[in-house]
Amino acid sequence: MRHRRSPITWFKNQELARKLILINFFLIVIPLGILSYFAFSRFAAAMEHKVGDFQLQAIKGLTLNLDTYMEELDRLTLMPYQYEEIIRFLESDRRGEGDNPLSLEEIKALNNFVTQVFLNGRVDIMGVSLFGEKGASYVVLPESQYVTTYSLDENAEWLKRQQGGSGQSVFVATHEISSTSGATYQAFSIARELRSFDSGKKLGYIVIDVDPSVIRGILSQVSLGSREHIYIADWNNRLVAGKTDAEPAELAGALPSSGEMPSQGVSHAVVDGERQLVAYVTSPITNWTTVGIVPAKELMKDAEGIRQSILLFGAACVGIAMLASVFLAYRMTRPLRTLITLMRKVERGDLKVSFPVRHWDEIGRLGKAFNTMVSNLSQLGYLLYETEIREKDAQIAALQSKINPHFLYNTLGSISMYAEMDGNRDVVRMTNNLSRLLRYSLSSHKELVTLEEELEHVKGYMTIQQMRYEERLDFRLSVHESVRGCMVIPLMIQPIVENAINHGIDKGAGSGMIAVECERREQTLVITIEDDGIGLSDEQLQHLRKRLLFSKDTGGRSGNGLLNVHRRIVLHFGPAYGLRLESMPYRGLKAIIELPAIAAEGILKGEKHA
Amino acid sequence: MKHKRNTWKVWRPACCALMALLVMTACSSGSEERGQPVAETGAVTLEFWTPFSGGDNQFMSALVAAFNREHPGIAVTQVNSRLDDYYSRLRTAILSGNAPDVAVLHQTSLPQFVKNGYIEEMTKLAGEGGIEWDGFSAHALNAVTYDGKPYAVPLDTHALVLYYNLDHLQAAGLLDDAGKPILEEGAEGFLRFLGKLKEALPGNIAPLAEPSTRIDSVWLWWSFYNQMDGGGAFYDESASRAAIMNPKALEALEYVKKLYDNEYIPPNINDAFKLFYDGEAATLITGMWGTGAFEKADGLRFGAVPVPVIFDKPAVWGDSHTLALPIRHSSTPEQKQAALLFAQWVAEHGELWAEAGHVPSWRGSSESEAFTGLPFRSDYAKAVGDVAYWPRHPRQWTVIEYLIQEFEKMIYGQQSPAEALEAAAKRIDAELRK
Repeated sequence: MRHRRSPITWFKNQELARKLILINFFLIVIPLGILSYFAFSRFAAAMEHKVGDFQLQAIKGLTLNLDTYMEELDRLTLMPYQYEEIIRFLESDRRGEGDNPLSLEEIKALNNFVTQVFLNGRVDIMGVSLFGEKGASYVVLPESQYVTTYSLDENAEWLKRQQGGSGQSVFVATHEISSTSGATYQAFSIARELRSFDSGKKLGYIVIDVDPSVIRGILSQVSLGSREHIYIADWNNRLVAGKTDAEPAELAGALPSSGEMPSQGVSHAVVDGERQLVAYVTSPITNWTTVGIVPAKELMKDAEGIRQSILLFGAACVGIAMLASVFLAYRMTRPLRTLITLMRKVERGDLKVSFPVRHWDEIGRLGKAFNTMVSNLSQLGYLLYETEIREKDAQIAALQSKINPHFLYNTLGSISMYAEMDGNRDVVRMTNNLSRLLRYSLSSHKELVTLEEELEHVKGYMTIQQMRYEERLDFRLSVHESVRGCMVIPLMIQPIVENAINHGIDKGAGSGMIAVECERREQTLVITIEDDGIGLSDEQLQHLRKRLLFSKDTGGRSGNGLLNVHRRIVLHFGPAYGLRLESMPYRGLKAIIELPAIAAEGILKGEKHA
Repeated sequence: MKHKRNTWKVWRPACCALMALLVMTACSSGSEERGQPVAETGAVTLEFWTPFSGGDNQFMSALVAAFNREHPGIAVTQVNSRLDDYYSRLRTAILSGNAPDVAVLHQTSLPQFVKNGYIEEMTKLAGEGGIEWDGFSAHALNAVTYDGKPYAVPLDTHALVLYYNLDHLQAAGLLDDAGKPILEEGAEGFLRFLGKLKEALPGNIAPLAEPSTRIDSVWLWWSFYNQMDGGGAFYDESASRAAIMNPKALEALEYVKKLYDNEYIPPNINDAFKLFYDGEAATLITGMWGTGAFEKADGLRFGAVPVPVIFDKPAVWGDSHTLALPIRHSSTPEQKQAALLFAQWVAEHGELWAEAGHVPSWRGSSESEAFTGLPFRSDYAKAVGDVAYWPRHPRQWTVIEYLIQEFEKMIYGQQSPAEALEAAAKRIDAELRK
């Protein structure tokens, strides 16, 4: 768990593929996230602006539509000017209690006038009222006959607005009117002050009551959203008509304070804890404000959808990118993992592996180097293996030569016994030596023997040879005391001596001198076997040296004894040691064996090494 | 091989750019989807014109609302006008091709609409829609049938009744134990009854409330004229001349004039209905439609009885509301079927309409407990049997206008009853010659 100390260390310890994936992840997700965030927020802001504009335009259109209608109603309030009887009626003095009832002609004129107003206006006119300055009153309410006893409410707010006005009509917000039969109706009104052109004096007022359902009908043609509020309110925020039944009072906070309110605009407000987009337009004709309120959330529903799709697309893109990145990362590091697997195999000793180099990139080069390394290793191993086989071969050869050694011993023993009985001392000595020789060579399964033992063997061999060659053999042995206990390879000196006899004595040249000298030079045991025979020509010597250096052939049974000895030494002690030859034609041959000087005590150690 | 890895290096930024582009297009395509119009609800819309006043409109509005609740697929919009303007408005609408889908027509004005082909012959449509004509009372069905074919759905019969203020009559000692007015038969008896009321009550209480203008005096005259044996003739046999210049007609009108002259009916009343409603009249003779409104009036205790028999036999002016389907070339078969369904439904719910005061034409309604259980109606329902309808004549509605105008002049003292009848007869003859 030490590698978890810090994220950086942790990261550094991750697999290469994971590192690549992580890096890709951050490279993709962070820029994409930032891009999406900014794109969306810019878009949302632009959209809100557009939606606000759209809403304002819709409200404007609505107001215009209503104004056309209102202008038409407004014109109706001018009708009294075209009827002399009406003007006369308004001028008439009717302040007396119950006096001066309407004449039949007046009734006819007024009825006719009202019918004209009703018929020329739209269906939704509910009532017409005429109020004269001097008490004349003629009021038609829905479902009722005319009433002459109603007088103008002097405290009506619209009246105050009207006074000092320019003769323009006032639009009064929706209020309740009751018919004579008790039913009550909602109506908004248009009131106009009527003046006499001749005298310049005020004549009275005409008030026309209209069913607000017509406004509702116009409002219902506009839709701003499913949770909208569209309504029309007058200057005191009294409801004229709304598309829904919501009271403007609870929405009043949504509008900017009426004092400095511009005639149109879009603002934001919080109603019921929800952010609302408020568009409003004040009509120059009615002085009413058309207000459209829609929760911002409602308007931004589309934007919300877009955000969802951005998230969805983003997630899909990141997902695809990450899949690709994972694929590529693993794809790119796969050769490395292959290499690691191959390495493990090599570790376990399987050298028959090879890395397939496909691309000439760094990994390809690494693979190539790996292949070279494995191939070298495998060659080395082959050499080792070969040596072992050769040793086996040698042993088999030796075994073959051990043909019934007991029979040979017994035979030699019999020969020795007969010679003893006959008194032939030479034959006894010869057979005894031969028997010892045989035993040594047959029992030489040990890897190492002391130089002493090896020299004993050589001496026994030379005794026999001296008997063969009689006085022609001059064997000289000189052994330094310090090297007698050194460990040597068995049957190492005898083949060289045999070779010296064969090449030195048998060719007939020289005095037949064979000298063996053992000495120690620093850590090296040097055994020199010298003869004064015919020697070797330069050519022969070079050939032989070359064979010593390069041949892997141990010679076997038929091979050269020198080669055999050399290979065995090299195999056993390494190429630093071995057999060297020095010779001159007719000056004899000098074979020098160099071995590490290992004392008998070192046997144990040496065996461990092997 | 080396360039293969480089390809990826080149493509990665390109992929990122592509993704960014995708995101941007997602934004832009989204912004184009701003839907504009909101789909209309697929309801069949019907325009329904009514001429109601004096309180019955609120009952019709309630009926229409109930119908709309029960039939989500149909939206009926009621447009009510004053009776004074109703027919001029309807005439204009029909002539300009903007007729409503359903209109209330008085039985009296029906001949004109039938003759000129302004309304649908019902069996043509009802064959598909299925109106149960058997469900209507015989006289109601008869009233809408022309040449054996129904042209409208009869809604009700309404006739004049005498409303009386219990408190005022009690104060005058003219109320019996059953709460009925103590009223003598005959012309003199009724005058004495009113005379006693005038004496007993303060000056601001009208013994009998009738407006000094408008149709009410004509209704009174027609009722009284028809109460006489041998009375009630309006046209001659060929229906080409007025037949009202006769002693019986004059006697009836003089009786009406007497009510005004004696100020049993005070002068300058414009809204008699309101007067009674406000408790400022002891009696009122008007249509049955007042009942529903008076029942809702605070502090008004009243009763209703048939119009007293002044002359030989009971008879009273009456009329019927019918539902007709003006011919509209622009209306769809769905609208026509819906209009039929609406007419049938309204007629079948006569007990609700009866709450206004009328006697429903649908037998299922007029015989239902919902109707018979209503107060007052049982007191005057039998008056329906005595109804004296106006003659069935295409120009009847116009002709009545002349009567109104001449009678108004008479009430205002500008001419005598005889002069009024003569003037009216002249104008009628002129009208019939057209």
